Amino acid sequence: MLEAHGLTRRFGDFVAVRDVGFDIQEGEILGMLGPNGAGKTTTIRMLTGYLPPTEGRITVAGHDLEDDSLAARKEIGYLPENVALYPEMRVEEYLRYRARLEGVAGSEIDEALDEVVGQTLIGEVRSQIIGTLSKGFRQRVGLAAAILHRPRVLILDEPTVGLDPKQIIAIRELIRELGENHTLLLSSHILPEVEHLCHRVLIIDKGRIVDQGTPAALRERWRGNSLVRVTLKGDPEDASRGLGAVPGVVDVRRDDESPGRWILEGDRDADLREPVFRTAVDRGWVLLELVEEKASLEDIFVRLTTEERVEAQADDGSAEESGLPEESPGPTGSDETAEGETTETEDEKEETS
Amino acid sequence: MRGMLATMDRELRAYFFSPLGWVVATGFLFFQGLSFQTIVDFLTDPRAPGMTPLDFFFGGTLFYWLTLLFVAPVLTMRLLSEERSQGTLEMLLTAPVTETQVVLGKFFGALAFYVFLWVPTLVYALLLERHLDLDWGPIGSAYLGTLGIGALFLSVGIFVSGLTRSQIVAAIGSFALLFLLFLPAFLEFLVNDPLLQSIVDYTNLYSHMDEFSKGIVDSRRLIYYLSGTVFFLFLTSRALEAGKGR
Repeated sequence: MLEAHGLTRRFGDFVAVRDVGFDIQEGEILGMLGPNGAGKTTTIRMLTGYLPPTEGRITVAGHDLEDDSLAARKEIGYLPENVALYPEMRVEEYLRYRARLEGVAGSEIDEALDEVVGQTLIGEVRSQIIGTLSKGFRQRVGLAAAILHRPRVLILDEPTVGLDPKQIIAIRELIRELGENHTLLLSSHILPEVEHLCHRVLIIDKGRIVDQGTPAALRERWRGNSLVRVTLKGDPEDASRGLGAVPGVVDVRRDDESPGRWILEGDRDADLREPVFRTAVDRGWVLLELVEEKASLEDIFVRLTTEERVEAQADDGSAEESGLPEESPGPTGSDETAEGETTETEDEKEETS
Repeated sequence: MRGMLATMDRELRAYFFSPLGWVVATGFLFFQGLSFQTIVDFLTDPRAPGMTPLDFFFGGTLFYWLTLLFVAPVLTMRLLSEERSQGTLEMLLTAPVTETQVVLGKFFGALAFYVFLWVPTLVYALLLERHLDLDWGPIGSAYLGTLGIGALFLSVGIFVSGLTRSQIVAAIGSFALLFLLFLPAFLEFLVNDPLLQSIVDYTNLYSHMDEFSKGIVDSRRLIYYLSGTVFFLFLTSRALEAGKGR
């Protein structure tokens, strides 16, 4: 449905995107994941025809984006990262304008409008002036405008940036629904979002694809040693010694935040839960918690993008500024880590590019 | 075509739904009214030359030229610079429309509002008709010249607006460029070189309007305005295309 071959984009000497190639099958939801400044927006701008690639070709539904640009652009619905609307227009007026611009036939505009207004739940603000809308509604209006002309490919650049948690959940739900009848490309620096919504994920760092696959496959490929979380009641000294003696345990760490909690590390394929349980029974410990920690995409992502940096630093010996993602790899790999954070810095960065 | 009409429609609405459009219209009509009033006062004096007020009204006074030199930059300053600073240019240039359609839509939107500004001045002619035996021919040709020069000025304004993201810079830049276009009017009696003289003659907007308001329609003038307009609109469209993604 959408194919990209050897996309490279330079800005002067700076290579923002380097030889990126992928394709999206019809009906697929592809996630593009990367830290801020990795080249996601540059790639997306090339895919939507806003930024001509320095090298490479893009085909949308069989139309070459360069030679048959209008036909290709017709197949794309695009929600840019900074959803820009005309603040002085009313929602309905704006959607009508967009429908005409996108080539919806005059007789079908009313129908298309009703449909997307219902789909994106913006009925209550339909006659409101855009400048007075909340960010969440603006995002919805942007989405409504992107699907008005029934594009076959939908490209969403950081669709939940700057929204509050409630709005994020609503927009995600909407994206999931849209994914049912669209081919979808979703960029994000928020891992759970991509992990939950996407069939396949591209991990991008420093303008290159570092890995790709289904979330499960990525997890399988990149998961490290197995981890088990244990909470015990009793003497810490005894617990420390006893846990270290459990067969298969490589490392024992104390969780400083909650008393009596320990993180055990074992071999990659080992399941430590059973030996831990047996030890507890033998020693007469009261076992309050015993959980296997699954490596989340977040951990993988951090590992992939930081390894790259460590290598790069080793290569040229310079102390490169660390561009780690804002989400720190919390020890629990919790699903909803700090995802409501606004990324003002990235906005600024995009502005200057 | 479709993209052009949609853009034109939006721009025209934007003029009518924004304070800017009404401020421009009010200022414009105030100065045109003042101009007309002054001319009529002057000509009712028995010592005045025997001319009709409309000979002066179109291009015969600084009222006409200064208003045009201000109105065109103000009407066009936001057309593209605002799209750029607001970020809506990205939407516009990824929609299935060509840059040319976008530029033409904005141009015709501005031109339509410009025409709207001039329509009320027909009242002056109607007022005069009650007291004088008016010749509508020269009035028609004066409006034609006003339309041609307006189109040229607006295209210059759009071009400058397409180069920047600041409306102020766009307004000042196009004012400077328009002033340059108007410069030959100042040089009329200041050049001796025959080649320069002929260039000045060809591009002297002041004397063009003098002809138009006497009822002389010289096709060379119209070709000058039309080709100038097309040239600047073409440049704008190329500039948009080259500046994509920036």
